[in-house]
Amino acid sequence: MSDDAPVQPGPLPPREGERSTGPVLEVDGIVTRFGKNTVHDGVSFSLGRGQVVAIIGGSGTGKSVLLREIIGLLRPTAGTVRLLGTDVWSASAAELAQLRTRFGMMFQDGALFSSLTVAENVAAPLLEHARVPPALLDPLVRLRISMAGLPPEAGAKMPSELSGGMRKRAAIARALALEPEVLFLDEPTSGLDPITARAFDGLLRVLCDDLGLTVVVVTHDLDTLLGIVDRVIVLARGKVLADAPVREVMELDDPWVQSYFSVRRMVNREGEVTHGV
Amino acid sequence: MAHGAPCRLDESDDSSVLHLAGEWSMAHLAALDGALAALPRPRGTPKLDGTALAELDTAAALLLSLRLRDAGLDPASVALQGFSASHARVLDLVRGRLDELGAAPPSRHEGFLEHIGRVAAGIGALLAGHVAFLGRAAVALGAVVLRPATLRLKELTVQLEAVCLNAIPVVMLVTALIGVVFAYLLGMQASQYGANIFVVDGVAIGMTRELAPMLVAVIMAGRSGASFTAQLGTMKLTEETDAIRTLGLSPMAVLVVPRLLALMIAMPLLTFLAFVAAIGGAMLVADPMLDISPQTFLDRMRTALALRHPVIGLIKAPVFAVFIAVIGCRMGMEVSRDTRAIGQSTTSTVVQSIVAVILVNALFAVALQELGL
Repeated sequence: MSDDAPVQPGPLPPREGERSTGPVLEVDGIVTRFGKNTVHDGVSFSLGRGQVVAIIGGSGTGKSVLLREIIGLLRPTAGTVRLLGTDVWSASAAELAQLRTRFGMMFQDGALFSSLTVAENVAAPLLEHARVPPALLDPLVRLRISMAGLPPEAGAKMPSELSGGMRKRAAIARALALEPEVLFLDEPTSGLDPITARAFDGLLRVLCDDLGLTVVVVTHDLDTLLGIVDRVIVLARGKVLADAPVREVMELDDPWVQSYFSVRRMVNREGEVTHGV
Repeated sequence: MAHGAPCRLDESDDSSVLHLAGEWSMAHLAALDGALAALPRPRGTPKLDGTALAELDTAAALLLSLRLRDAGLDPASVALQGFSASHARVLDLVRGRLDELGAAPPSRHEGFLEHIGRVAAGIGALLAGHVAFLGRAAVALGAVVLRPATLRLKELTVQLEAVCLNAIPVVMLVTALIGVVFAYLLGMQASQYGANIFVVDGVAIGMTRELAPMLVAVIMAGRSGASFTAQLGTMKLTEETDAIRTLGLSPMAVLVVPRLLALMIAMPLLTFLAFVAAIGGAMLVADPMLDISPQTFLDRMRTALALRHPVIGLIKAPVFAVFIAVIGCRMGMEVSRDTRAIGQSTTSTVVQSIVAVILVNALFAVALQELGL
């Protein structure tokens, strides 16, 4: 396992092992079947702290399903998931509730509560799980909104009044509310224009570098992969096909991987587009 | 958590240092706030010492920055010493944003009169919109009448099944039970005067002319009106209606006309079934409780129930149907693009439809009275 991605072009300052050490996430032998359809057939990997890790794979390889299994929304047919030291699928309800305050999840379209304003959305987990002094609640919510890169006025808006990119940022603000140690994101840049998407990538990198957050993204976005991701996990045929830094994965001799990255190679040859952030 | 106070102020003549220690994290915010509040006011600008910090998260850093600011210091210019790189990054991230956090925008509070005015204007706009939609629906319906081949038969049959066939059990059950109760209550009064037989008059006329059409309309408002709004609202939300428009079709013709027609066909049929069920229910209790045998019941009904009563009931039914279908479809088509709106619109459809049906029924009663029917 090569954790420190030596060929990564982006700035990668060394990060201290904050909080506890040891793997953040261990996925072991996950098997998922829907009826006769086997989605995962023994998926295993483990992640250390303070990395941006991407899970990629073709449509139907069960990336989002895997994410849902990791965060305890969907029970895998077999296998274990240890997230922050807790076995997700044999934990008691109380342990699971405790675990859920330690990670944040951003769903594909934000999944903001549509009857609450953005500020109320961000405040919801704080009110539910943290004993924040009342006087501090409002500034804390505004800090989260600002950390997610939204202007202060956004707090008073309803989710339906936001653009797609802003909705995703608001969802990040809510996912960050409880100071999570791990942040899961399902297709964070899908449906965003390239400029907004790159700004979003930058935000993730900053969160990872400054807060020591472990960020797990399910993505299709090549620019995200090449720009900010330390490590890539490739799912194919129900297994982990590769688990390495982007550059190594790109060299992999696999038809799917080759065609996945070939688009970018062509752009490189023609237009000299660089991979940097 | 480390032992001892999370913060301590060391002041000498030429320097003042605020020592932070232990876990400065969200879980301990209240304790940290208390500890900060208990500190004496620093004489100069203290340095921050983070040597003994075990943990610092953004929430705690925010608390610290806010309290420093409250003490009249500029958190951004406070010098740090002994901080680990990661703790310093967290603190810098937070204190660098302190100014842009600003104050919460003042929440606009709406006065009582303002609220009344806004709601009234909203109702006015709603009614105007309904009338406009009714007009468009009528045009679309007219087009279908002129060119019957353009009628979407498949959609109409699907709607007829949902609106009519599937509604038969609930309509018959409800009206039969109301017939039972109605006959029973009338019978209790009538039997005091030995006028048992007039229960038949009451049930037959009351049910066919007023109650059955109303009951069916209320059931259909809750059942079909609500489902029209939910279906069309979801289609609007998933841009299906836009897709229909893009394909050169009219959502009016494809979605609204079949629903409107289906309900207009279904309501008289269901109302007739409601007559049968209600009178059947009444006959059921008339025999044991009022000594009116089914034969007597039917004989009496033949003389007491003029044909115009059920006919009026059957004429009202499609009119109610128009109101329910137009309100249901319009509320669905005009749903704003968020999920919450569908729930609100569906509720609104049911309320509006029931109110509309009762209003129209009252108008019918007055008009028919004047006509002497």
